[in-house]
Amino acid sequence: MLRGFYTAAAGMMANQRMQETLSNNMANAYTPGYKADQGTMRAFPELLIERMGSKTIPTKNGFKVPDAGHVGSLNTGVYMQEAVPSFIQGDLKETGVGTDLALVQNEVPDESGSLFFRVQNEDGEERYTRNGNFTVDGEGFLTTNHGYYVLDRNGDPIDTGGMEFKVSKNGELTVGGQAFTLGVSYTSDASQMVKEGNDLFRLSEEGSIIVNPGEEEGVGYSIHQSHLERSNVDPNRTMTEMMNTYRSFEMNQRVLKAYDQSMQKAVTEIGRIS
Amino acid sequence: MNRSMIQSAVTMGQLQKKLDLVGNNLSNSETTGYKSHNADFSSLLYQQINNQSHSDAEIGRVTPEGIRIGSGAKLGHTNFDLTQGSLKNTGRELDVALVEDRHMFGLRVTTEQGEEVHYTRAGNFYLNPVEDGQLLLTDANGYPVIGADGENIILEDNFQAITIDSNGRILITRDQNQLVEGTLNVSEAVRPRMLESVGANRFRIPANVEEDGIMGDVLSGDVKMQSQTLETSNVDVAKQMTEMLMAQRAYQFNAKSISTGDQMMGLVSQLRS
Repeated sequence: MLRGFYTAAAGMMANQRMQETLSNNMANAYTPGYKADQGTMRAFPELLIERMGSKTIPTKNGFKVPDAGHVGSLNTGVYMQEAVPSFIQGDLKETGVGTDLALVQNEVPDESGSLFFRVQNEDGEERYTRNGNFTVDGEGFLTTNHGYYVLDRNGDPIDTGGMEFKVSKNGELTVGGQAFTLGVSYTSDASQMVKEGNDLFRLSEEGSIIVNPGEEEGVGYSIHQSHLERSNVDPNRTMTEMMNTYRSFEMNQRVLKAYDQSMQKAVTEIGRIS
Repeated sequence: MNRSMIQSAVTMGQLQKKLDLVGNNLSNSETTGYKSHNADFSSLLYQQINNQSHSDAEIGRVTPEGIRIGSGAKLGHTNFDLTQGSLKNTGRELDVALVEDRHMFGLRVTTEQGEEVHYTRAGNFYLNPVEDGQLLLTDANGYPVIGADGENIILEDNFQAITIDSNGRILITRDQNQLVEGTLNVSEAVRPRMLESVGANRFRIPANVEEDGIMGDVLSGDVKMQSQTLETSNVDVAKQMTEMLMAQRAYQFNAKSISTGDQMMGLVSQLRS
């Protein structure tokens, strides 16, 4: 009977999820290349509420016929539907370390398009990252800080030999006369990128990606050596959202308690035999 | 269950490490030849929560199903910044400073595992007497400095003057004659990220790592150093202070997440009171 009981509880659960997303954003506020997740709430499917009643037909005996009418629609709860990363460019920080690379997207043809470095995970599969906090491993290959190989435009690991390499704005890596072009991928719909942890993104089954986009796709980017792209988390905004979510959680709790008091009345007052 | 508290607690532990690193840099801001360490963060594993049981009800959804919630952040790798520290003239004959970024002196260090070669940028050397009338060139801790021939540098006593020239040769003056009686060995760190700090200003190649290609030889013509000079630490105090403020604020923000999570738990427990 009291539909709102579960509505309020669902609200609390959704707020809890939201808080988890926000708190993870806050935790990664200083992770280079981190893209803040934005939670979206969604109402449960609508229910049509019907009234049950009867109408008296003005006859001599007062004949009654059932009469049901629509009252309106009601959502019986809310849930967190998705946590979509915001792919806004983070600002650059100068580090002075030659193995730090920042990817800056200058022009992309699609509104939700985004560019990534190509890396290879431990299973040999291609993954994407914006964290350019790279290093050189014991064999001289350029890797991410988890040891995943950074790929060139042909999909091969880059052998830098040592620390002596220069990266130009257009992604050309030169080491002792040899030149590589850093592999970059472009997706026109970044909402299909799924976070996997360790700074990596994976492409979902529906998504599509363009490997090594060039001028014909209208994609312009630049790579900045000795810089890192900072996280695009805004701590002020995140803190405000956390306070908001907390209050919403609190209000749902109040509603839940109010329902409980109604129930108490039903148990202790209506049910009393005097 | 309460993920937000776990995420923040994990991250606070990692931020503490960042603060430790900054603290160590600051305390070595006056150490000869110290190379500052830096570290950046990296995100942690994401968990997928399937809270959409009816996919046909997901009208208008554009992203892949399930929501993914991360589990905080951790420190990525720690790197040395090998840039040159500023040079300080000391006027002392046995002080030398390397002026190429990744060049290092070799030291012979006896550890529990046996004899190891360690590398250092600190060029404050000393002469220690060994046997009769012989002097051994050592670092500040008394470990022998390796010469260009791979041997320790041992000099006969009784000389009027000693100087180290810009190519690392040790020139000794005896009875108005100047002679080269030893040459300092200089190696180049080709892949310095593989080196391990062992304290006391020294680095070594870790035991479980293939040694090939990590350190390289420097041809005697390419050795460049400045005598009567010491290389100071390359710690940028202003930058380290900024990093410290940043880490402290991040710590506070995460602590706030924990207390918010705690208050939420409090509200839940009040439901039945």
